[in-house]
Amino acid sequence: MAISAATKAATDALAANPAPVSVGAQEVHRWMQSFTWDFDKNRTKYSTKYKMANDTKEQFKLIAKEYARMESVKDERQFGSLQDVLTRVDAANRVHPKWNESMKVISNFLEVGEYNAIAATGMLWDSATAPEQKNGYLGQVLDEIRHTNQCGYINYYFAKQGQDAAGHNDARRTRAIGPLWKGMKRVFSDGFISGDAVECSINLQLVGEACFTNPLIVAVTEWASANGDEMTPTVFLSIETDELRHMANGYQTVVSIANDEAASKYLNTDLNNAFWTQQKYFTPVLGMMFEYGSHFKVEPWVKTWNRWVYEDWGGIWIGRLGKYGVESPRSLRDAKKDAYWAHHDLFLIAYALWPTGFFRLSLPTPEEAEWYEANYPGWYDMYGKVYDEWRARGCEDPSSGFLPIQWFIENNHPIYIDRVSQVPFCPSYCKGESTLRVLEFNGKKHSFSDQWGERMWLSEPERYECQNIFEQYEGRELSEVIAEGFGLRSDGKTLISQPHTNKDGKLWTLDDIKKINCVFSDPLKAL
Amino acid sequence: MSIEVNGGRRGLTDPEIAAVIMAAVPDKPLETQRKMNYFMKPRGKRVNEYETLCCYTQPTPDWIPGGLDWGDWTQKFHGGRPSWSNESTEMRSSDWLAHRDPAFRWHALYVKDKAEEWRYTDRFLKAYSADGHVRSIDPVWRDEVLGDYLGAFGFYEYGLFNSHSSVVRDCLGDTLRMSSAMIGLDKVDNAQMIQAERTFLSKLVPGFPESTDIPKQEWTQGSIFKGARELVQDIWQATYDWNEILFSGHMICDPLFGQFVRREFFLRLSSYYGDNLTPFFINQMQLYFSQTKGITTDMFHTCLGTDVEFGDYNNRLMRAWADKWLPRTVNALKDFMGIYDTIPEIKGVSDKAAIEAALVRVFADWKRDFADPINYKVDTAALVKTVLSGLK
Ligand SMILES: [Fe+2]
Ligand SMILES: [Fe+2]
Repeated sequence: MAISAATKAATDALAANPAPVSVGAQEVHRWMQSFTWDFDKNRTKYSTKYKMANDTKEQFKLIAKEYARMESVKDERQFGSLQDVLTRVDAANRVHPKWNESMKVISNFLEVGEYNAIAATGMLWDSATAPEQKNGYLGQVLDEIRHTNQCGYINYYFAKQGQDAAGHNDARRTRAIGPLWKGMKRVFSDGFISGDAVECSINLQLVGEACFTNPLIVAVTEWASANGDEMTPTVFLSIETDELRHMANGYQTVVSIANDEAASKYLNTDLNNAFWTQQKYFTPVLGMMFEYGSHFKVEPWVKTWNRWVYEDWGGIWIGRLGKYGVESPRSLRDAKKDAYWAHHDLFLIAYALWPTGFFRLSLPTPEEAEWYEANYPGWYDMYGKVYDEWRARGCEDPSSGFLPIQWFIENNHPIYIDRVSQVPFCPSYCKGESTLRVLEFNGKKHSFSDQWGERMWLSEPERYECQNIFEQYEGRELSEVIAEGFGLRSDGKTLISQPHTNKDGKLWTLDDIKKINCVFSDPLKAL
Repeated sequence: MSIEVNGGRRGLTDPEIAAVIMAAVPDKPLETQRKMNYFMKPRGKRVNEYETLCCYTQPTPDWIPGGLDWGDWTQKFHGGRPSWSNESTEMRSSDWLAHRDPAFRWHALYVKDKAEEWRYTDRFLKAYSADGHVRSIDPVWRDEVLGDYLGAFGFYEYGLFNSHSSVVRDCLGDTLRMSSAMIGLDKVDNAQMIQAERTFLSKLVPGFPESTDIPKQEWTQGSIFKGARELVQDIWQATYDWNEILFSGHMICDPLFGQFVRREFFLRLSSYYGDNLTPFFINQMQLYFSQTKGITTDMFHTCLGTDVEFGDYNNRLMRAWADKWLPRTVNALKDFMGIYDTIPEIKGVSDKAAIEAALVRVFADWKRDFADPINYKVDTAALVKTVLSGLK
């Protein structure tokens, strides 16, 4: 249209209809796909063996400002509840002490996952070629910053308002001492950011988010509220509202590579590895946090696992991807076997190493023992009687001079660490599927607990070289390691970690540990 | 009572459960240190909420300076490249976690501001359209400058936006990572605002094309944005060092080219051509520019440039980077001079003297805020002259 004619038309249009007009987010978003352009160097900085399609769409159609509006509405609700009514009713002091301790770990470890997901989705934003797909990942980058801050807020709130701030107030500094940290880094940190970009997306979105963190986030809210904690549901359910978009991102990633030849060759192997990687840690750790880290139980972990991991994820979610050639992971069956006992095995070790934690652990009470036996027949003979023995030897009492790790040594049950997952296991005393495999490479010994991890290591040992805590601490005395890792409360002598949550129980000090003279040794050296 | 509770019974409100819980809760808190992250060194007097929620979320080992963790990475890239490493940048720091957004914005504060801007944008557009302002825009300005060249400038913002993806992946600190994502989001927001303005105009002015076709053609094939396009492509895709990406984009390219185009061209000229709409959007971009400037000058001047151990080295490196990126930016501006040929000249506003004055302002600002702090010697008059040689 000629210029002057356009001006006249605008004037006429206005005269006929002066109604206010604005622009909606979707009216802008529909042009997004055309925002990019071709040029020589336009390629990703992170290599992937897959090719992501240029025309991949994204279904949420957000633009920056609309994203901000949506999130800020949710923030107002969430922080309003926390700062107003929950504070007035002193909610943080109406949480069961055992659960207060669990949230030190759950919220901080989830924070690490959220934090690394920022970097992971930054990489995917770089790898995707379609602007809409980039935009979907960008939204997730921002979400993951939100979730990092939200998880931090839980610890911040519990520290400020709650019954035991130690560990909530310094988890980011003390978390690295204990045996759960390195494994957590594998699933929640390096597994999301280090590797083929699509493989990382599979780890993060297709498995981490769709299979574990979403159930984790939802299930956690049920366990929390049963144990008096309304802060966690307030925050975690708000996190969850963003996760739908993240699962969709994972789905779109698969759709974007579905027609690529590489997908038929590698996708199912990558998925199987990612599933095993994630489940190897989450299956035992989540089960342990829920069942051993609570007083009131919602349901046995094995039931939750079967419903969410096996049926919903392995069946329905993966089933939806079937048309793209995606199959249920081959390792799912082995994982299912592990879901019954692995968390009981892990708690035995975690409790034995309690001084290295940044939280207090508790032995199962008689009523809990009954619940375990009812839901996991055979539990008492394997675990219950060991806890009885530890209790009888005074493991909760600082003057006893007894640390349960001594029981493993006395009975010649060495604890190894799986090189690939970094999860500790005790092959001679476990009911789960772990078996000891030892391989040597470049003059160094490596232990493994299962065939799937061993296979990953065999094909690419250079990806899994990380030393484990026993190699790191070898020859060093326990109290020294704790002090160096800042495992003390503000009085400078009482440990953050404790082997009980009894309000009248005595608290262990660094001196109590020093007296025992417990020195770390690397079990691989003894082989 | 049974320890298995179902049916959604809540410990806070269920009297039976609450009684068990309250009996177990200690009579007084076990720990007197109630402040999270009490151990860290705050930027100000006290650890603020932003620092509490963001600082030390980065799980790097201590061989990446500032990290609190130890040991190796549990999984690496194929071939063994580490998850994060000091080699990802030529810059050196004794603490990669030292950066702070001067506005201390964690996620909630960041989105709250942007949400307000969006709501206000919506209200503004309604009032603007109902008021009939659009009638007063000079038709050449509207159809050619806003339709084509402002649209083309959207690609500049979009390209710079994408340069942040690898920074968000690779950078070595938590506050750096969050800041980089936020200043990146502001850039795509700019590109989207430009498209929003064009879509809005197309609703008010029958025949005004909202399509990105012509702007894209202008951006990819035209002469006015040729230098800018090549510059942006190199920052986005040819640069791997995450600090160099941020430095070239936010310490050289945008404070010169971006500032000139936004502030001295679109913002200053629009009102002369009866356009009160573009300033509304450009002013938001200018707000983002100033917030970003606060962030990146904190990164490069406050942290890296004054690092006790590596400050001198870092400043030297920044000067070397300035040597590399400044000529390309000057060239982008020189190409952009071609735009004055497309608009009716207004004496004292868009004639050569006015353009020169505008360039002098931009270069003087840049020298004061970006060159002087790193001791970069620059003859801005010569640079202005080079740019002006692009005038037809
Ligand atoms: Fe998240
Ligand atoms: Fe997520």
